[in-house]
Amino acid sequence: MNTPSPKISTMPSKPVKLRVIWLQGITCNGNTHSFLNDPSLGSLLECIEFIHHPLLPCSKTLKEVVKKLPKSDILIFEGAYRADFERAEIRMESLLMSLALRTKHIISLGSCASFGGIFKESASEHISGILFDKESESGPLHSLRKKVITLSGCPIHPKWISFVIDMIVQGKKISLDEYRRPKELYGYLVHNGCLRNEYFEWKVDSDHFGTKEGCLYYAQGCQGPFTHGSCNKILWNGVSSKTRSGTPCVGCTEPSFPRTELFTTKTYMSIPAEMPLGVPKRSYLALAGAAKSFHIKRLEGKLIDDNS
Amino acid sequence: MITHELIERIEGEAILDFKTDKSGIVEEADIRFVHFRGMEAILEGRNALDALVIAPRVCGICGHSHLIAAVRMIESAYIDAGFSLTITPKAHSIREITLKCELIQNHIKWLYLVMLHESGKLLGEEVNVSLKALYVTSQINQLSALFSGQWPHSSYAIPGGVTCDPTHIEVMQALKILSEVEQFVGKEVLGCPLEKFELHLKNDSHRALEGDFSKLLHRFERLNLLNSGKSHGRFLVLGENAGSLDHSERSGADVALVSEDSSHTFTHGGKTHAKNALYNGAFYETGPLARALITERQGIASLYQRYGDCAQTRLSARIDEMVTLIAHVRLLLTSLDLSQPSFIPPSHIESISGSGVGIVEAPRGSLIHRARIERGKIVEYSIITPTQWNLGNGTASNLGVAQRAMIGAESITKASLIFRTFDVCSVCTTH
Repeated sequence: MNTPSPKISTMPSKPVKLRVIWLQGITCNGNTHSFLNDPSLGSLLECIEFIHHPLLPCSKTLKEVVKKLPKSDILIFEGAYRADFERAEIRMESLLMSLALRTKHIISLGSCASFGGIFKESASEHISGILFDKESESGPLHSLRKKVITLSGCPIHPKWISFVIDMIVQGKKISLDEYRRPKELYGYLVHNGCLRNEYFEWKVDSDHFGTKEGCLYYAQGCQGPFTHGSCNKILWNGVSSKTRSGTPCVGCTEPSFPRTELFTTKTYMSIPAEMPLGVPKRSYLALAGAAKSFHIKRLEGKLIDDNS
Repeated sequence: MITHELIERIEGEAILDFKTDKSGIVEEADIRFVHFRGMEAILEGRNALDALVIAPRVCGICGHSHLIAAVRMIESAYIDAGFSLTITPKAHSIREITLKCELIQNHIKWLYLVMLHESGKLLGEEVNVSLKALYVTSQINQLSALFSGQWPHSSYAIPGGVTCDPTHIEVMQALKILSEVEQFVGKEVLGCPLEKFELHLKNDSHRALEGDFSKLLHRFERLNLLNSGKSHGRFLVLGENAGSLDHSERSGADVALVSEDSSHTFTHGGKTHAKNALYNGAFYETGPLARALITERQGIASLYQRYGDCAQTRLSARIDEMVTLIAHVRLLLTSLDLSQPSFIPPSHIESISGSGVGIVEAPRGSLIHRARIERGKIVEYSIITPTQWNLGNGTASNLGVAQRAMIGAESITKASLIFRTFDVCSVCTTH
């Protein structure tokens, strides 16, 4: 990952396609379907070929994969990990490890693969991510941690995965955070780029759901100010995001996903219990007090007053 | 001879255990789903509104149907608890638009990624990624996201309405996308204008069209499968336009007559995690064919009369439904009154103690979410998915719908293709 690969970049006319295996643990297939939403899937498939994919045409069936355990350049793992979970009648502990040893890069795709996610909730002590179990780096691929790139999210955005694959193809260094997530994708907060930012700045909360106005952080449970993700930079399906459609961010890229009471803000002395990331409570209170003392008429009315 | 066949390229995997005679004809077919995730247990103990985030994660391809089922369930619990609740026509229409978009993208993926792919493989033809189909499904999902914020896994439908507050800009964008989808379906899928398709079905001239759907029918013809795959002839719709049909006998449909049978599952010494869903104690087919017959859509009704509930009727029903859905989405978009509120706040969820049921006609059929809520918390949650109806595993004297359709097939590969005409979803079946 550290050095550019001249072999690939100097042969633009006939690039070597990276060989990719897409393996699933305990999953809903959400990342698979999100991946299929990439409108430029065709150009991505110019750079990679699937040895196996659960839905796309590929050179090997799952049955053949478990039998031959082929080498690959990238192993994509979707879904939560459980040692005794079987694919094609092979236990995951042996299947995942065999394929992981025979690949160069491992992409932990989605929050289930990354931290355990929703499916960890059903049997917490047996289910984890492949590298992390919630916050702790105690998953089965611990010894191969350097190969792992975490793409958390429930589901992932298709552009996040094509970005990482493109970076691998181009031999670029991918700078990673503490959970091995690419900083260029997860350095942002979901709050960044949210259309309701001005309401946040002036502490104008949303009266209720279903309006364009007001910030959802104060009452509706929005986790955008402390959730890493570029949802409001790289828009979903090219056009929107949860907060842009008035839905609170549910923090789906974080190891703590899913928290509880997802549509209500926990408050302490009527201010949100969880502060915007990195902001000391005292600083927040000082600024909030000042902001609230002003009444900005424009922000108290409708954004568009004649919508008929 | 006994053969275990691993079925891939569905949502997850299934195992079919076939018993064949000397010439390879299928005598018995058992359907097994070996994965289980425990969604209901994950939901229990949580705030009822959390179901709007958890429930869509039952399934990556029809999660939106699970969202709508969950929100309807909570709304019905409000009513059960004696609270009133108003959903404006606008909020209702927006939910319908996004739900129907999910069905449309599902049907296109099933046609291209599953049916054309598998039938081609069986005939030894080269199969490639259908980028045109994936592009158009990404467009349909974009249409949905204009309102729902994202697809998959949106949580924008909440008790009292929807979270979004769209402008005409979103509606205009949606209509543009829909026009592209219509063009694709007319030109590539059907080989005729959308409004002409029903007439072709009625006149039995649909196989002569030049589109990817007729290509699929020709492959079925070459495989001698067009008129195979007959099942019980019992159909059920529990969501919108509810009704049941037993051959030619029509009656209403009552969710109280639905039961689940788990006597054959792992917990009782069996070999599958999937519980059977029964209506009045019997296996019924749900999904596009059931919906077409119960709402008496003319093209499919005449096909059914001519050929019965065989593969070509079942395949055609899903395509015809897609055509109908597209027209319906256009109507909903053009009649949307944006001046109405998106959301009318109901009483606080913590004041709700009651039982709720939410039923949705999902891509594969009737989806039921039921729960008991105590002071806003989920005490009990139960989900019956469409595939539990169609892919139930019965006994020799009481066969499941797909089981019966596979028996008599000339080979296990042909039986497996018939299995796929039901649009298999393993992740839903064993949630």
